[in-house]
Amino acid sequence: MSEQDPAAAFRIEAADLLDATEQALLDLTHDLASRDLVDTVFRGMHTLKGSGAMFGFDALAAFTHHCETAFDKVRKGIVPASAELVAITLGAMDHMRALVDLDADDPALDEAGNAILERLHAALGSAPDAGGEAPPAAQPMPAANATAAPGGWHIVFRLPAEAMANGTNPLILLDEMRELGDAEVHVLTDTVPPLDELDPTLCYLGWDVTLKGAATREDIEDVFIFVMDDMDLSIEALESEAPPAAGAVQAAASAKAAAPAESPRSPAPRSARAAEESVRVPAGRLDVLMDRVGELVIVQSRLAQLAESGLRGPAGELALRSISEEVERLASELRDTTMVLRMVPIAALFGRFRRLVHDLAHETGKEIELVTEGESTEIDKTVSEQLADPIVHLIRNACDHGLETPEERGEAGKATTGRIRLSAEQAGGEVLITITDDGRGINRQRVRAKAEANGLLQPGQVVPDSELLQMIFHPGFSTAEQVTNLSGRGVGMDVVKRTIEALRGTIDMTSEPGKGSTITLRIPLTLAIIEGLLVRVGQGNYVIPLAAVEECIELSLEEDIRTRGRSMISLRGRLVPFLRLREVFQTGTRPDPYQKIVVIGTGGERVGLVVDQIIGSHQTVIKSLSGLHRRLPSFSGATILGDGGVALILDIVQLVALGQQQEERLRAAG
Amino acid sequence: MPPSHPKPENEVDGATAWDANGQLEVLTFEVGDERLAVEAVTIREILDLLPETPVPGAHALVGSVINFRGKIIPIADLRIAFGMPLEEPTPDSRIVVIEIELDGEETQIGLRTDKVNEVTLLERTTSAPPPVLGMRWRRTYARELARQGEAVIVLPDLPAIFASLSHPQGLGGGETSMGHAA
Amino acid sequence: MSSILTVDDSASVRMAIRIALSGAGHSVAEAADGSEGLGKARMAKYDLIITDLNMPRMNGLEMIREIRKLPIQAGTPIIFLTTESADNLKSQAKAAGATGWLVKPFVPDHLLKVARKVLGG
Repeated sequence: MSEQDPAAAFRIEAADLLDATEQALLDLTHDLASRDLVDTVFRGMHTLKGSGAMFGFDALAAFTHHCETAFDKVRKGIVPASAELVAITLGAMDHMRALVDLDADDPALDEAGNAILERLHAALGSAPDAGGEAPPAAQPMPAANATAAPGGWHIVFRLPAEAMANGTNPLILLDEMRELGDAEVHVLTDTVPPLDELDPTLCYLGWDVTLKGAATREDIEDVFIFVMDDMDLSIEALESEAPPAAGAVQAAASAKAAAPAESPRSPAPRSARAAEESVRVPAGRLDVLMDRVGELVIVQSRLAQLAESGLRGPAGELALRSISEEVERLASELRDTTMVLRMVPIAALFGRFRRLVHDLAHETGKEIELVTEGESTEIDKTVSEQLADPIVHLIRNACDHGLETPEERGEAGKATTGRIRLSAEQAGGEVLITITDDGRGINRQRVRAKAEANGLLQPGQVVPDSELLQMIFHPGFSTAEQVTNLSGRGVGMDVVKRTIEALRGTIDMTSEPGKGSTITLRIPLTLAIIEGLLVRVGQGNYVIPLAAVEECIELSLEEDIRTRGRSMISLRGRLVPFLRLREVFQTGTRPDPYQKIVVIGTGGERVGLVVDQIIGSHQTVIKSLSGLHRRLPSFSGATILGDGGVALILDIVQLVALGQQQEERLRAAG
Repeated sequence: MPPSHPKPENEVDGATAWDANGQLEVLTFEVGDERLAVEAVTIREILDLLPETPVPGAHALVGSVINFRGKIIPIADLRIAFGMPLEEPTPDSRIVVIEIELDGEETQIGLRTDKVNEVTLLERTTSAPPPVLGMRWRRTYARELARQGEAVIVLPDLPAIFASLSHPQGLGGGETSMGHAA
Repeated sequence: MSSILTVDDSASVRMAIRIALSGAGHSVAEAADGSEGLGKARMAKYDLIITDLNMPRMNGLEMIREIRKLPIQAGTPIIFLTTESADNLKSQAKAAGATGWLVKPFVPDHLLKVARKVLGG
């Protein structure tokens, strides 16, 4: 986020505000009488409108104004909060999100907005107040007081007694008047009390000012704008043709609190792109980081001293080693604290699904309750964002296929309301996210029939139950007898699985007929650092994510020669294909005499990677490759080694796919 | 506003950013028997040769990467684009790190050069786009041929050259492919 | 140069205020709610405090009342942010001890004008 772009900051705030307001609206659906919730919704809209107008989001401000007005009426008891109004407003939230994200005036968007407003006004039983209270904009200037007096003005004023205590400085007011023209100022002391009655914080003085020049009455009133309602102020035109009696105007009686005239409003600059990615960090965490940096600076100066001192021999070595250990500790602490900066509570992600379930219940005619647990579990922000789509799909699936209709549930002796449980917990270096439904469970017969129809299983082939359930993650697999509006659109379970694996996570499913299903996602805590296995192929170093490594075995020279042309090894009775990375990478080098096969696995599939040498495990800080290399298969990134060199990180999913292709080719060749 | 790298005001895609006086500040360097120039504003650093890490499967034009201050950046060998034979580095060889926009993304690239000459001003009046005929490399790879004394300086169109990587047929040869292990 | 405290739960509004005022040579401290604002007001004398009224934890009215009890801020001008429609809030804020107000949405010139008005010069 740009340090200096309030519009970008507003986008982030608006997103939060919309989320919070939406939560209040969802709560309101269950509790239409709640004043607090109505107030929360109203305040959210109010802030959105005000700030939106300030940073140039005019369409947003104008649209939100109508929703704000609607909830103002609810708040004041003019109209009741109805389910219909809440539903329409929920739709309006989506429109507001679009208005926050988009810059350009989009006629289609306008149309959509107008349609929502029509429904809103219909629900309120009111006509759109088109010319009514417009969203805040420039204030009109009152024209009546804009004439100057040819002979100047005679002004007498007394400030409210507590004016000075409340921050008004009479000297500044007098200075301001002097800026309007030549001013002759006399102090009026007639109301100053005797000393023993005098409160030094109060203002007892009055002022009599004769002002020459071109100032208008409005200019003078402007000077007193903040105190005018409570003060005595008389402004009299000198040598004017008006009768003296009418000339003295008791401004205190008639004055309107006119705000300073507004200068032409230049919309705040808005960047073309949506708000840049940013993370809000609790200040305490930054403090910890600063402490570590402070320590690092101290160690650095110790190191510099040591270098200066020219201390050699065992004493120097000892001093150096102690500094080295210190640096190692600090580096590891810095790494940890820096990683923590990227962590956000999963609550924000979970919050989005309440709305989804609300809408799904509406669409399917089912009664659905969403229960969330472990919302304070923290997860890397990037990961959190990438999890949204897969979880949306899994919840859709559960609502659409898993949960039964209220009637079916009734017949099965279950509560009519189906329940989806979404929970998160941290376990070691992973976050476990489970999505559980208490629906009908997976129909094994149907999965089997489908798998057989697709050639994934031989008719009658015996497979463990867990493997049978894994079938639903195969590309193109769908057990829905009829494609409904919900799950018919978009992605399949295979895409969900691939997305999770791209995050180096895994997906598992259990299901009990009649009782429901549970899907468990295991996601590594952060994307920034992984445990890796450092290997050498030819002259290059490569990192294999350790989480994917199942075992390492030796490939003897004889075995290597024997398996040429048919690169399969037998591992506990199963044939596993393997790739000679020297050949894949075209290193042009000769194989080491003692090559190793690193067996990696993802999902149920395994593949062996032949490397020349296993160097050891390696804390791998992941760096991205430039755009010129990002589309390469085989590599998901790179890392910097202790000696400053670069090692590429192998893309497990791609390499397993490559291995599978090879296996298929071998099979086809017989 | 954070200071951004100065950008010539009249810069347009594919057009040369001559300033108001019809001049362009460039760094000139040698690649094979060509003298090339890149706009001085794009230069980030000139490095002695560093250990490079080959990237299997990458196009030979950007066949390796280096660690440049903790970032992994590609090393480009313009010989490939200009159809020259590859040669071993010499004591004069340097890496010129530039930063240009590719596909809407600011990208740092290290250019392999045989010798870095100087920062100089090219004159619009003595420059012209490459002729339609008579070039041994693709005409769209150069924006300008600028005359300086006896020498001709080629101002390569780097975005055009690197953009061809997105369309594999754009550059002949150099492509290595994956998946022949079986 | 004056020392100014801006209290608002909206980071974008604080940022807009900070940019405008620091551009005019003032130093600007920030607080994200009334209770943080009061905490800062206890610690250091400000030449001007600009605050929103509707904030979590401690709202602006309450904060203004508390600040007016602090000897260190005696006579410190307090400007509150308000919207056009909130007339009753205006009188409540004045009664709580506010000096003046600024109508949202505002532009930087608008803010600077109000700041000059209470700071003088």
